[in-house]
Amino acid sequence: MRILRSVRHKSCADGTFMKEFLLSAPVPAGLFSYLENFGEVESLPNLGEGFYKFEKPDWFSIKGLAGDTTVEVRFKKEVMDLTVNFLYLLFSSYREGSVDLPVLKQREEAVGKRVREHLYGRD
Amino acid sequence: MSENPPIIYLNNAATTWPKPPEVLEAARQSLALPVFGSGRTTGSQGEDYITLAREALAGLLSADPPEHVVFTQNATDSLNILIQGFLAANGDGCHVLTTALDHNSVLRPLHELERQGRIRLTVLPFEDGSVRPDAVEAAITPDTRLMVTAHGSNVLGSVQDVAGIGEVLHDRGVYFIVDGAQTAGHIPVDLGDLPVDAYVFTGHKGLFGIPGTGGFYLRNPDSIAPVRYGGTGTDSFSLYQPREMPERFETGTHNYPGLAALAAGVNYIASIGVNAIAEKAERQTAFLIRELKEEPNVTVYNESPTLPIVSFNIRGLENDDVGFILARVYGIVARTGLHCAPLVHRAIDGGRGSVRLSLSRFTTDEECRIAAQAIKEIARNADSSVGSP
Repeated sequence: MRILRSVRHKSCADGTFMKEFLLSAPVPAGLFSYLENFGEVESLPNLGEGFYKFEKPDWFSIKGLAGDTTVEVRFKKEVMDLTVNFLYLLFSSYREGSVDLPVLKQREEAVGKRVREHLYGRD
Repeated sequence: MSENPPIIYLNNAATTWPKPPEVLEAARQSLALPVFGSGRTTGSQGEDYITLAREALAGLLSADPPEHVVFTQNATDSLNILIQGFLAANGDGCHVLTTALDHNSVLRPLHELERQGRIRLTVLPFEDGSVRPDAVEAAITPDTRLMVTAHGSNVLGSVQDVAGIGEVLHDRGVYFIVDGAQTAGHIPVDLGDLPVDAYVFTGHKGLFGIPGTGGFYLRNPDSIAPVRYGGTGTDSFSLYQPREMPERFETGTHNYPGLAALAAGVNYIASIGVNAIAEKAERQTAFLIRELKEEPNVTVYNESPTLPIVSFNIRGLENDDVGFILARVYGIVARTGLHCAPLVHRAIDGGRGSVRLSLSRFTTDEECRIAAQAIKEIARNADSSVGSP
């Protein structure tokens, strides 16, 4: 699954920057189970084909409906430059059944270190 | 869920949709021939859309004379012209009143002037959706010269007692600008009777025009100095802005298709009657509120609005998520967040924002029923929101 392009964006009142992304395929509910490896997921599975929301504090949140070909992502503006590539990687790495989690976790740790330094100074 | 559910549009407090067919036709027709604006062409074959719109507005709002109805780009533009023009005519340094109910179209111009040290500003809190005339009276100081406030709240749907407030202000010599962005076309407005000095309207909401039109009615033109200057197509030998109305404030080429559409929108309203529009809206709004109140998870912020506006939140869900689900699952277009009225939300929901449904003449009973059902379904599911997918 790939992010094809951003189709809408806005600055939000809560200080985040929202981008809606068009995906190469409809969102499977399994995507959010996979994302749970990297943050918290909430769901309302009985609404439509299921409403899902992924939260990765200080990075971004992703919300979407299973079966839709777009997702809405809210970036923490201050570190968006650091986290946006990881978002693309999360989607491009997702395949049902075979995801190389250790490699992604390594990358997450590296980006996370830079995010923390940017937001809170050096450890 | 169908793949592409039909749109149920409940965001009419932002911009009304759909427009009456005659509005679309008027905009089309206005572009089908060259513009025949008075003073700007030798042609005379076309309609004088500007005069048509001015007279239609003057009739709807009982604004006399029609020439005191001035056209601008929108309500925000009107408010900026009036507020800046008031200071240009009367000088800096005065005390100005506004309210926490107001939209950023009022709050931002006033706060900017306060930041520049040009005015002293008091923002009055509201109770039960409005600011009482006695609270206004208590806030007046010897240097209070101006009050600017909304006629109707775009979040709560409440309507302020501008007659009572206006009387208090005029007794104390305070100038009164009323922002009617949410009331024009929705409830009867009689400017021949209301004690207001200027009344602002926008074209694209309750008046069924298209975006890019708005204006104001000004009782005494000399009370506001023009802050924009340029060509009017009249008195062109003079190098100064004409004093006559409406040229005093209307400069540059008009938005002809917009004003043609606005005239058609106002005429549409007049053909139905504002009272009939208000009665239908009141019945549908009451239905929605009654339905939403059945859900213990739903908080409705004003249970008796005068305008067709219902603001609510669902416990356990962000308002933005509710709007997302309404749009994507049910095809219902609402609006979420702060609605450009941050101080209202600070007072009612701690600044979180809300989901807002807003109706128009074209909203059907069936659409209200579907929307109420959808919101109840979301609210009933909200309890299951925490946990793994």
